[in-house]
Amino acid sequence: MNEAAEALGLRKGLGIADARAMHPDLEILEADPVADGRMLCRLADWCDHFTPLVALDGADGLMLDISGCAHLFGGEDSLLREVMRRLGMQGFDARASLASTPGMAWAAARFGDRPSVNVVPGEEEDALSPMPLAALRIEPEIQRKLESVGLRRIGALLGAPRGPLARRFGGLLITRLDQALGILEEVISPRLPVPPLSVERRLGEPISLLQDIEQMLLLLARTLKQDLERRGEGVRQLTLSLFRVDGAVTRITVSTSQALREPQAIASLFREKFTVLENSLDPGHGFELVRLAAISTAPFLDRQEGLTDDRSSAEEEQFSLMVDRLRARLGDHAVLAPAPAQSHVPERQAEFITFSDWMAQASSSGVQKLAADSRGTASASALKQDAVPFATPARPLRLLVKPELIEAAAEVPEGPPFSFRWRKAIYRVARAEGPERIAPEWWLETKASLARDYFRVEDTEGRRFWVFREGIYDGKSMPRWFLHGLFP
Amino acid sequence: MARPAMAREQIFALRQKIARIEGTQPERLEGGGTNADKAGAEMLVRRYAPASPWQTFSLGATGLDTALDGGIPRAALTEITSSQSRDAAVVAGFALALATLAGKVAGKESPVLWIGLANFFFEAGLPYVPGFARLFGFAPDRLLLVQPRRIEDALWVAEEAAIQNRFAAVLLELQGNPAKLNLTATRRLHHRARAAGYPLFLIRHGGEEEPTAAPTRLSVSAAASTFRETLAGPVPRSIGPPAFAVTLSRSRTGKEGTFVLEWNSHDLTFQERQPLPGKPLHIGAEHATDTGDLAAASGNGSHSAPAARNILAANGRKAG
Repeated sequence: MNEAAEALGLRKGLGIADARAMHPDLEILEADPVADGRMLCRLADWCDHFTPLVALDGADGLMLDISGCAHLFGGEDSLLREVMRRLGMQGFDARASLASTPGMAWAAARFGDRPSVNVVPGEEEDALSPMPLAALRIEPEIQRKLESVGLRRIGALLGAPRGPLARRFGGLLITRLDQALGILEEVISPRLPVPPLSVERRLGEPISLLQDIEQMLLLLARTLKQDLERRGEGVRQLTLSLFRVDGAVTRITVSTSQALREPQAIASLFREKFTVLENSLDPGHGFELVRLAAISTAPFLDRQEGLTDDRSSAEEEQFSLMVDRLRARLGDHAVLAPAPAQSHVPERQAEFITFSDWMAQASSSGVQKLAADSRGTASASALKQDAVPFATPARPLRLLVKPELIEAAAEVPEGPPFSFRWRKAIYRVARAEGPERIAPEWWLETKASLARDYFRVEDTEGRRFWVFREGIYDGKSMPRWFLHGLFP
Repeated sequence: MARPAMAREQIFALRQKIARIEGTQPERLEGGGTNADKAGAEMLVRRYAPASPWQTFSLGATGLDTALDGGIPRAALTEITSSQSRDAAVVAGFALALATLAGKVAGKESPVLWIGLANFFFEAGLPYVPGFARLFGFAPDRLLLVQPRRIEDALWVAEEAAIQNRFAAVLLELQGNPAKLNLTATRRLHHRARAAGYPLFLIRHGGEEEPTAAPTRLSVSAAASTFRETLAGPVPRSIGPPAFAVTLSRSRTGKEGTFVLEWNSHDLTFQERQPLPGKPLHIGAEHATDTGDLAAASGNGSHSAPAARNILAANGRKAG
């Protein structure tokens, strides 16, 4: 219902037919709670302007914890005015109130007599007294019971003895009352995690050029570096929030594989993100607030640069920075390392994990790092002897993502194929080695699968394949043949 | 008639510049000009020619090494092409073998970066680390796989990696003749590889031969393997070490030719298969020696499974 409808005398709860009867030229739109929710979230994003602690309140409210933020806007009153003014500019008809407890602020915003109220500490009781019971955030059931005994205003409850009230109407009533009055502490649950560190800059003149944003980013990163140094930490995850003049907020997040502090390195990570976002980042009339928040941090190890030719740590740092840039531009899923194999089934040995997971595993299990490998000749050759005994059967170089069904003519009962058809081409087998039986891991499978007999075959043109037969020729069922891998 | 000395100096300077870009020697650029000043120019070219900046690594195969004038250049782009993408594993295996050799020369166990488009990995199969480990003595934590979606991104990753000198080699795997991979792009890649000091292998599956800045181009396909050797002699119908038919189609020396190489996974080196006297070098399988026996899969397979050819079953199931 918009203002025009309200002016015509329509109310919530009125049937469409009745409304149409009163005003035949009404335009009826269906309520869309999902879109409303999205709108509220976007508004909450914008409210990050004022404080990082923004919580959603029901379907139509926002709760902002402004402790310690009001002075940035010239005091509480001017903050309230600013919020109202800017919401008005965006076309919202909002009601706001500011109080020292969430309960009081909630009541004053919804049931206060003016669209914006600042309830000064100490005046809570006076402000609450004339309000209806609904302002206490109690259940309708309790409210109905209270009203049935003639208690219609909060003021009537404030003077009443508490013991009997609690006994008759439940503890929640007293809790809500105490919360509104500030006797009980209440915290709001913010929508977004509160970053441990955050730096921001408000701009009188909105910026829209990418260079300006990068410049600003570098500036913020330098400030952040000082804070990080004080705490002896480096960042692992960073979010850059760009607040557009018209209220839209863009958030760009990058993560690093090592704790990072260098402003230039941080800027280079974001530069990759900007390259990807190039078209979708719409500056509109410009950004008026740029905030750089460290979402997660980790201890940063200061290293003494050696006088000898020990460049490995610097190289390692460079390496992880490069990987971070790749991840920033291509996405986390595009940079992979082989997962440590703990299985004998080929497809489980072939799994890849993202580099960030790999780093986490490597550091937790003390496995030698990829990046630290430049001097590890001894350990690598040891590995060659231990882990790769030459008696192991041959394995292909490439494994198909899924074994592909082939049509094969083969020796019965358990011979290799003579010829097979794979991807519409026929291959005649010149030589074959096998079989090698690989049984399924029944302790992991949800449905029973058959054992596989793998053959290594070479066709008449010299191509080598890894094919397998699932099941055996037992006269009852026909086993199927699959191609699984390619040998060099 | 001689050109003024100044102009000549300039020409030589330019030639050297071009030679550096193209990765060839200034002598080979010697083309136009009349016979009269050619002799003089030759002399001057020789005088100005720098000491060879070419560090190469040998393949261990004498014929190919000679044709390549010592081996594959270490800090350069090398193109490895295949005519069909079903040879994906053969070409990748050859490139990894070269990477192993390059790493051996560098004397350290650096990681290998393998870049390929996500959809190609889906089609041709993902690298299978247990397979590498056996063939190339490759520790599983030495592989870093990057799979971007677009060719631009793949090229960008290859260039980005060049800022590092951590890698034993970089493999960039692409399919066909994408427009993005033109002469300029290969030139950029070659430059980066030279600056970084490690080999960059550009694998092109099923593409036409195009102008390239890579000083070396090899076209690789599968060759039939020999029988596996044991103390008791070759095992019939067994599959021996990986074999590659390598055609050299571009090199600094200008020589061309086809060679059959076998990879020796014990010594981590190539061996060249010599043509038998009176017979051409065979690439396809030998049918004459096919006894129909099946070789056992065991590593030291000296016993072969009995022939079981009396019953035939065709898998009549149609795909789909």
